[in-house]
Amino acid sequence: MNSSVDINPRASGTLSEDTRGVIVTKDLCRAYGDKVVLRNVNLSIRDSEIFGLLGPDGAGKTTLMQVMAAILDPTEGTCTVMNHDSVKDAYWINSHIGYMFQGFALYDKLSIEENMKFSADIRGLPKDLFESRQERLLKMAGLYKFLSRPAGNLSGGMRKKLSLCTNLIHEPRLLLLDELSLGVDPASRKELWDMLHESRDDGVTVVISTPYMDEAEHCDRLAFLHEGEVIAVDSPSNLHTRCAGHVYELSTDDRGAAHNALVAHKDALSIRHLAESVHFQLLTENFIAADLEAELKKNNGVIKAMEPSLDDAYTMLSGGEKSTAYAERPPKIHLPERLPEGGRILTEGLTIRFGDFVANDHVSLDIPPGEVFGFLGANGAGKTTFIRTLCGLQPITEGNAWIGGVSVRDEHRRLSDHIGYMSQRFSLYPDLTVAENLSFFGGIYGLSRSDRKKAIEWAVSVTDLGDVKDNLVADMSGALSQRLALACAIMHEPAVVFLDEPTSGVSPAARYKFWQLIQTLAEVGTTIFVTTHYMEEANYCHRLGMMHQGRLIGVGQADQLISDLPPEIEAETIEDMFLAYIKIEDARLEAEQAS
Amino acid sequence: MKLHRLFAVMRKESREIIRDRITLSTAFLFPVMMLFMFGYAISLEVEDVKLGVLDQDQTPSSAALVDAFAESRYFKLVRRYNSELEIRDSMEISEVKLALVIPPGFNALVGRDNLPEVQLLIDGTYSATALVALNYGMSIVSRFKDRDNKLIDIQTRIWYNPSLQSVIYVVSGLYAVIIAAFPPLLTTLAIVREKESGSIQQIYASPLTVPEFLLGKLIPYGFISSLQLASIVALGYYWFGVPFNGSLGYLAIAGLIYVFCNVGIGLLISTITDSQLLAVLLALVVTMMPSMLFSGFVFPIYAMAEPVQLYTHIFPARYFVDASRGIILKGAGLNEMLQPLGLLLGYTLVVFFSAVAIFKKKVA
Repeated sequence: MNSSVDINPRASGTLSEDTRGVIVTKDLCRAYGDKVVLRNVNLSIRDSEIFGLLGPDGAGKTTLMQVMAAILDPTEGTCTVMNHDSVKDAYWINSHIGYMFQGFALYDKLSIEENMKFSADIRGLPKDLFESRQERLLKMAGLYKFLSRPAGNLSGGMRKKLSLCTNLIHEPRLLLLDELSLGVDPASRKELWDMLHESRDDGVTVVISTPYMDEAEHCDRLAFLHEGEVIAVDSPSNLHTRCAGHVYELSTDDRGAAHNALVAHKDALSIRHLAESVHFQLLTENFIAADLEAELKKNNGVIKAMEPSLDDAYTMLSGGEKSTAYAERPPKIHLPERLPEGGRILTEGLTIRFGDFVANDHVSLDIPPGEVFGFLGANGAGKTTFIRTLCGLQPITEGNAWIGGVSVRDEHRRLSDHIGYMSQRFSLYPDLTVAENLSFFGGIYGLSRSDRKKAIEWAVSVTDLGDVKDNLVADMSGALSQRLALACAIMHEPAVVFLDEPTSGVSPAARYKFWQLIQTLAEVGTTIFVTTHYMEEANYCHRLGMMHQGRLIGVGQADQLISDLPPEIEAETIEDMFLAYIKIEDARLEAEQAS
Repeated sequence: MKLHRLFAVMRKESREIIRDRITLSTAFLFPVMMLFMFGYAISLEVEDVKLGVLDQDQTPSSAALVDAFAESRYFKLVRRYNSELEIRDSMEISEVKLALVIPPGFNALVGRDNLPEVQLLIDGTYSATALVALNYGMSIVSRFKDRDNKLIDIQTRIWYNPSLQSVIYVVSGLYAVIIAAFPPLLTTLAIVREKESGSIQQIYASPLTVPEFLLGKLIPYGFISSLQLASIVALGYYWFGVPFNGSLGYLAIAGLIYVFCNVGIGLLISTITDSQLLAVLLALVVTMMPSMLFSGFVFPIYAMAEPVQLYTHIFPARYFVDASRGIILKGAGLNEMLQPLGLLLGYTLVVFFSAVAIFKKKVA
């Protein structure tokens, strides 16, 4: 597919603007040995704005953040922060900013208050000032009642909020936040953003990096980072506009044929397989070539022009997706038996208790074979327990679950060959090659020699790993490991595949490819069960289930769930919808307790 | 250097130390275990060496010589032979380690000017104990020249370790090894852990200076390591009965310097490593292993080859082995200690300033 785009970011004039910004980088480069991580970055970040750095893992976001925090020197070019050079005046910059590392950089053995105090003490904050600011910040973050709780005992969202508070205690004029929302549930994410907006309104400049498009929408301005280069800088709405007229939606009876028609055509830039429809981008503006249109309209195809999203903008500006043919269907290897009801997942009143704690509270679900089912919920909502139970790893307290008609409670051993599981931290062996990993997992699933060969061949071809077969996993990018993990999870043609946040942090192009393959699997009857709190992934699911405090608080198609909300609640996105359902559930619980 | 920032780091470190079970057991439990294991396991004594006898003389004199061997605490008579052939077989299966052959006519020679001739055959597989056993054997023979078959009593006097128990020697040297083993490990991990979790980046992007951060780590870990040294010295005194002939004050001074030296080495290691695994391995290879081999704690330095003797000088443990044995066993005073302590102090300063120079507030 064509990789040159007719939208030239450099021609738009946004890259060379005034040099009086809070942060100004000039021809900034950073390399580690031969590996260039940042290439000629020219940015000017203005006073009191929330500036987003958007890009997949490995795009150079963290490196750029570290250069701005003056804890990493550029190999070429300069970075000026509040009129101080990041190399010569590193100490001044260190002392005057707030910088938040992407992990959970707190001291777990220290309490909330001790963490705050440490942050204040190393900056010489007077005691009275500390007290009042701590109270204000922690109250805003909803942490004030837990002052003496050790940071190690806090949930992911609370830890991030505390991290942010420790970085606000000295009221810096500049906040650098590296992947603020990593591992944070939607509710906490919203609270974090409320805190950021408040800071911004007080005149603080915020730079935030994120791989999430929906989060990037909240920024005042954005820089797209792609393979170490800034490919666009603009406000989210302008970025949308720049792609207007290039994005279409297609509903068709045969997505495979439509996919291959698009791949074959020179105008097509990218193809995205959502649950119910196919989105595609064209090089041409407001124009579909007649031959392409004819191809797409076969099989009851209906084409509609679409409002572009940031995802679309990123894909277009980064040169589109080098897409391949529609994934082949699996070769039908010989498993000892097929399950009587295929990939159907059925639970009735499934309840799991740990002592007094109810992890799953009467969860009843019926997922037909071939459905892509999205399971949404915050950390600790009970998603992991649910999957562990279905995999037969967790004894059932009450109720039961069936996979393909086989009872999990009584016969879970029969099920193990029919389940594929891809965890968030892809459990691959880094010191083995791609082929060796596949062969190992094939062996685990007990595939015969000839089946294993067939299965590996198919898995390698659909995940596009042919070129890297002999590479060590340790040397591969996140997107490649993710594809290998998927290949390992599906090569034995399981009836059910569990995916845990499968595509967070990979580029849109890689994500599209991933979900295209998932749709193929669903077409042959594989049930796909996706747990995520990344709302973008919910778009690819036929139906969604929402978990909150161990309870299933809603199941259905996304539009249906949105229209089921009471009329006074406005929900535009899946995230809004999810938060609304949680709010309703919390109100219900409160009322229940009161009575 | 701002004191309030230094104190902030020290406070934070102390809290983390007190609340972390692994740190506490590395500081107090493991050293005690090591003291017991090594204190009991390493024995340099030669006792009850298995002895076989071929008495071809069969006279009262020869019988008296055999008795002299059998009664000493160094030998235990396990076999009497009838021919020389039997000796070889018996030694091959390690039935005996030493064989005494008394030739015919031994009786006639006793009491004359020249020594009576006997033959001692020793299994030399483990040369160190073989030599010691042989020496014991020869001394018994050489004392056996009186006409009345009486042993000549030689009065010997042994200084510093009068009961010649090797446990006293081993334990008093172990202090140096233990302090070289655990404090650097603890300190290294304390920093590399922050590198792994990423919290160190928050430190980099803050007004903390390098000396403030490193001193803030050094002081609490130095303090806890000093307690560690005190606890094992006390155990050595009360449990193993290591005599204390010197001044507690001198030992405290020497101990403090040595402890901070090792904590400093831990800091230095942490400045050049990024992973806890590598840090642990490096700490073991750089501190614990050489301190066992090259400190003179069991293997005497004077018996090493010249180049190796020179090499031992780069390990601080050897100075402290000298200093602690000097103070504890010999009651050495300040004059004798000045050289090893001065060297240790210099070493400590070099280590700390190197760490400060190498440690950069940069991620790469």
